[in-house]
Amino acid sequence: MYVAKGASVELGLKGKRVIVPASTKGILRRVVDQLIDEGCDVAICSRSEETVARSLRELSGGRGTAIGRACDVNDKDDYEAWLEEMIEQLGGVDIFIPGVSAGGGADSERNWWKSFEVDVLSTVRGCEVVIPHMEESGGGAITFITTTASVETFGGPQAYNAMKGSLLVYAKQLSQEVGKYGIRVNCVSPGPVYFAGGVWQMLKDTMAKWFAKVEKDHPLGRLGTPEEVSNCILFLSSPAASWVSGTNLIVDGGFTKRVQF
Amino acid sequence: MKVIRKNKIIRSDPKENPNGTPLEKTLDIDLGTQIIPKERYTSKEFMEKEWETIWTKVWLLGCREDQIPDPGDYICTNIGRESVLIVRQRDGGFKAFHNVCMHRGNRLADEGLGHAEPFVCGYHGWKYDSDGSFADIPDIETFPQGKPPCNGLSELPCDTWASFVWFSLNVQVEPLEEYLGELIGHFEPYHFERMAMTRWVTAEWDCNWKASVDAFAESYHTAQTHPQLLWYLEDLDLQIDLYDRHSRYLVPFGLLSPRVESVGEIPPPLKAMLHSAGMDPASYEGSMNDIRVAVQQYKRETQIEQGKDFSELHDEQLTDDFNYLVFPNVTTNTHSDDLMLFRHRPHPDDPNKMFFDIWMFELIPEGEEWPPLPKHDFRPAGSSRSLGIVIDQDASNLATVQEGMNSAGFPGLWLSDQELRLRHFHKTISDYVGE
Repeated sequence: MYVAKGASVELGLKGKRVIVPASTKGILRRVVDQLIDEGCDVAICSRSEETVARSLRELSGGRGTAIGRACDVNDKDDYEAWLEEMIEQLGGVDIFIPGVSAGGGADSERNWWKSFEVDVLSTVRGCEVVIPHMEESGGGAITFITTTASVETFGGPQAYNAMKGSLLVYAKQLSQEVGKYGIRVNCVSPGPVYFAGGVWQMLKDTMAKWFAKVEKDHPLGRLGTPEEVSNCILFLSSPAASWVSGTNLIVDGGFTKRVQF
Repeated sequence: MKVIRKNKIIRSDPKENPNGTPLEKTLDIDLGTQIIPKERYTSKEFMEKEWETIWTKVWLLGCREDQIPDPGDYICTNIGRESVLIVRQRDGGFKAFHNVCMHRGNRLADEGLGHAEPFVCGYHGWKYDSDGSFADIPDIETFPQGKPPCNGLSELPCDTWASFVWFSLNVQVEPLEEYLGELIGHFEPYHFERMAMTRWVTAEWDCNWKASVDAFAESYHTAQTHPQLLWYLEDLDLQIDLYDRHSRYLVPFGLLSPRVESVGEIPPPLKAMLHSAGMDPASYEGSMNDIRVAVQQYKRETQIEQGKDFSELHDEQLTDDFNYLVFPNVTTNTHSDDLMLFRHRPHPDDPNKMFFDIWMFELIPEGEEWPPLPKHDFRPAGSSRSLGIVIDQDASNLATVQEGMNSAGFPGLWLSDQELRLRHFHKTISDYVGE
């Protein structure tokens, strides 16, 4: 007869201090919900004071605590001040999950500047603020939200795909640099994710034919859910993934067709 | 889809903007809540009444003035069982005639555009001048009674408005201006004469002509039938104006429907709107619902360099859809840069069929070359070629609507306030038909 050895998988997130910028909607909001359920203390933000206040109300009373204030992630001073403020209020930071994006588009050169500033530069700035704190407290985990649009041709050549791709390069090389402080750096690259109020809901309405093709191209015959992506983000960010660093986890229900060695 | 907020729609104050297209909302009138009997759409008897009391009595749209630019140019257009010739005159004016030779009744021309100097009957060679008068009757000496006393083709009332030529099968018809009534002054500020006709399609549809009018006179079907438009326009808070026999509603474009929320990215239809106004979507930093006003301001500021004169239009006309029904069968999606005009024509004898005419026009910037006139493109019933996504979506409902209307299980139309224009349409029909 098997005697339990206490070997079931535990994420070990309880009590972790987590920063998730721009996290009042979509996948990142689902991440925050799950972190609160796991007993983490989580800092959130959004550009709108009203949205942050509503989210904090919705998140109150859970196993963990949510804090936050309105902040424009695109504004260097505001963003860095918010990060320091949150770290101070949380009493440190164990996990950082940057995933803010300017979204897709190939309208003009402006798309490139926006993707660079919003997707890339805010992530780099965030890492530069949190890493010294993680180093001080003996380690941490950083998980970037990237995209499968960087690893396979998708939706036409555009800044979003290329700039998110640059984050894959940055994450890998950063993981080499900060490993010595006990900091792990990984990426989670979701494929198309459908939820009410999400981009793919809008695309289902506005580009119905293309949406149907994308859906059909998924071996599982549907798009992903925020929860299915969030599950993977929580895992990679948790102590349960202590031996995973410098990787890019594709979470797309088999949508991308490349062989990943 | 559920309504999740109320949009704040900025509208010009009619009192401060007395010139141009009238903006005043008409007074609400009580049209009741009765069911509209389905027989109006399905019965041959009702169709016959419409023929006797509407089609042969009212003013009807014939063509664009510039479709027949030179003397002798004509268009032959059919309405129900009748066929009409509209002919450009030597003095630049227009005359309309029954398309029938006064000898033995042969048709003089087939539907479509042509040039005839003179019209020659294909049977015995009777000839008619472009003003309709007899030009030659072969072997006239063999008619002991001489030529017919009518002196030529059977003439019909004909007049012009807003770059279009109108006619009536009723020789006693009131003047066109009187018939159009309150609508006079609504279209003029758009200067349709600066717009080039770019598309001319006729589709044969398996529905009553009124079912087709209905599909373009209410916005209630947007959420279910045109989900893409929820990411482009206001489908709920529309100004509905009911005139004597005509009607309109004003549909704000350039914002999200109150049924959807921003997803952080500009939806493709709104991007297309920004692009066509000459704006860069990537540089637009405002909220989704402020795109409407931003486009209005940008078009206003850049109109001169874009070679467009919007000086007679109100701000909302630079984005919104002023959607008219010119009774009985012309609907227009009127915009500053284009006009989408639909003519809903009855079938000669089948209430379950109709002809849907699409006439598209685009504003040509000053100094730019005009495209050639479009050729007529006819789509027989059952054609699978696309008419454009929005019209395809509408058309996909209509055949099954007509089938269902013929069902014993369906008593008639059960209308909401969002469909008030349909109720008004039927009230006008009742006024003509007398029931």
